[in-house]
Amino acid sequence: MRIGEGLVQVSTTAPTRSTARLRRVLLSPRAARITAPLAFLVAWQLIAPLIPSRILPMPAEVLEAMIEQAREGTLVEAFSVSLTRLAVGFAFALAVGGVLGLAMGMSARIEALLHDFVVVGLTFPYLIWGLLVAMWFGFEGQGPVIVVFIAGLPYVMLNTAEGVRDVSKELRDMAAAYEVPAGRVLRHLVLPSLSPFFFASLRYGLANGWKGLVLAEVFAATSGAGYVINEMREYGHFAGVVGFALYFALFSIAVERLVFGRLSRWVFRWRPSATKVRPAETIQ
Amino acid sequence: MATQTARPSIARLLPGLARRPEPKTSRHLGWRLAGYVLFVGTWQLLGTYVFEPFILPAPTKVLQDMWSILLSGDFWPAFFATTKHLAIGFVLAYLLGTAIGIAMGRSAYWDGFFRDYVMLTLTTPGLIFALICVMIFGLSSLAPIVAIVLTSFPHVTVNVVEGVRAVPSELMDMATAYGVNRRTQLRHIVLPAVAPFLFTAVRYGFAIAWKITALTELFGGADGVGIQIRVRFELFKTSGVLAWAFFLIGLALITERLILQRLERRFFRWRPKAFG
Repeated sequence: MRIGEGLVQVSTTAPTRSTARLRRVLLSPRAARITAPLAFLVAWQLIAPLIPSRILPMPAEVLEAMIEQAREGTLVEAFSVSLTRLAVGFAFALAVGGVLGLAMGMSARIEALLHDFVVVGLTFPYLIWGLLVAMWFGFEGQGPVIVVFIAGLPYVMLNTAEGVRDVSKELRDMAAAYEVPAGRVLRHLVLPSLSPFFFASLRYGLANGWKGLVLAEVFAATSGAGYVINEMREYGHFAGVVGFALYFALFSIAVERLVFGRLSRWVFRWRPSATKVRPAETIQ
Repeated sequence: MATQTARPSIARLLPGLARRPEPKTSRHLGWRLAGYVLFVGTWQLLGTYVFEPFILPAPTKVLQDMWSILLSGDFWPAFFATTKHLAIGFVLAYLLGTAIGIAMGRSAYWDGFFRDYVMLTLTTPGLIFALICVMIFGLSSLAPIVAIVLTSFPHVTVNVVEGVRAVPSELMDMATAYGVNRRTQLRHIVLPAVAPFLFTAVRYGFAIAWKITALTELFGGADGVGIQIRVRFELFKTSGVLAWAFFLIGLALITERLILQRLERRFFRWRPKAFG
């Protein structure tokens, strides 16, 4: 609370109603969300000149680079190439991982067969996959897409398997006893119970697919967001690197707030919020 | 519930730890072994008969390479350098992450202040941090250390925040009402409630830290496993890359299993085992 207090200490000789209100506003968590990036900017502006040889660019230079990247189209092109790769790779991960996860959820034997490999898949560094696909498929190949597939697969498998196990046995038995048609069982029993797990596999699978993808693009591609930012670094265009990094950050915020915030609220609107489960029983 | 919705937890960004016990492996041990045999066998066959060794070296070839690296002078300096980066960076990340986590768990203001930073650093690819650290700090040990701190502190923070919120407020109220002094409160109410989360925080933070260490070293460290991997990659030596990758994973697994888990078990030995 100290920072906010410092700001309003100026006029505390007679704490009138308006200063009290100002203080309340400045100390609200909502104001803190605005104070934080401002504090970051101020700190950056102050620290940047202290670093020798001015390697860390000033905020103004970075802003300039960001505007240039947006106007030239580098930004849109790089991200659209990357996002296409992400979508293709993850679609394969969903298809393959869905089938394997279903098998794992239904059979303890298949679970025993595959479980350890899923764990290995979760821990094996994407860096190594990136290097391997570069050596296997070269710089122009589908290496990055394959890394997305590899990165997303274990999350899809685990969550699908977990979701299948989660379908209530009693309700399935009752549906069978009352001869509910399979389509309705699927729609009203299996899908609602799978959906939080499906959503979790989307969230973690896509997030990790994205991390693997940009890494693979550095080594195994000549386009895409990961390639572009590393290229700028190699050419010593430091303001461009920081600017592009900020675009990455803005992208995460946008996806987190809009897609996962809104979408998950909409998908789970039927569920009372008190019974929120934590899906994604994954291991790291 | 009202406070919960007002301050949604950022922990949802992390995949939950497996509270589910391991699958009953004793019953399906045969199947589990079959998985390994199938995997290693296929790899060996493909490596020996189908692909050239520079594409897919057989596991035996990788093992040979690991052995010769161990015997050569490359291994120990790289190993120690990486361990040093990891140790310094992770301790700093843990201290910073815990401090921020406590502040966020106790005050709505600091929760709002750090929420976006934490969320950002959780979701932005480690590559970005590695590149920027290499850019600023150049060829030194500072680059991997700062990169570790920046990427793994939020994983610690998120777990610590959960821990602070798990402190039973009824017990705290009662302790205050009965005039229990602050130290006793901390020792017997706060610490037991927070401790499991502090250990989870170690695991989460460490899982990120060792990967980012190698990554940053690879892009511009002065020494370490990452450099060795890069050299093999540039010489197009697939078996060398895999050999060093296995050393790296081995280092991480040994630290996690032998040190962190043992510490955790020792710390929680008072707790009955029957839950899960």
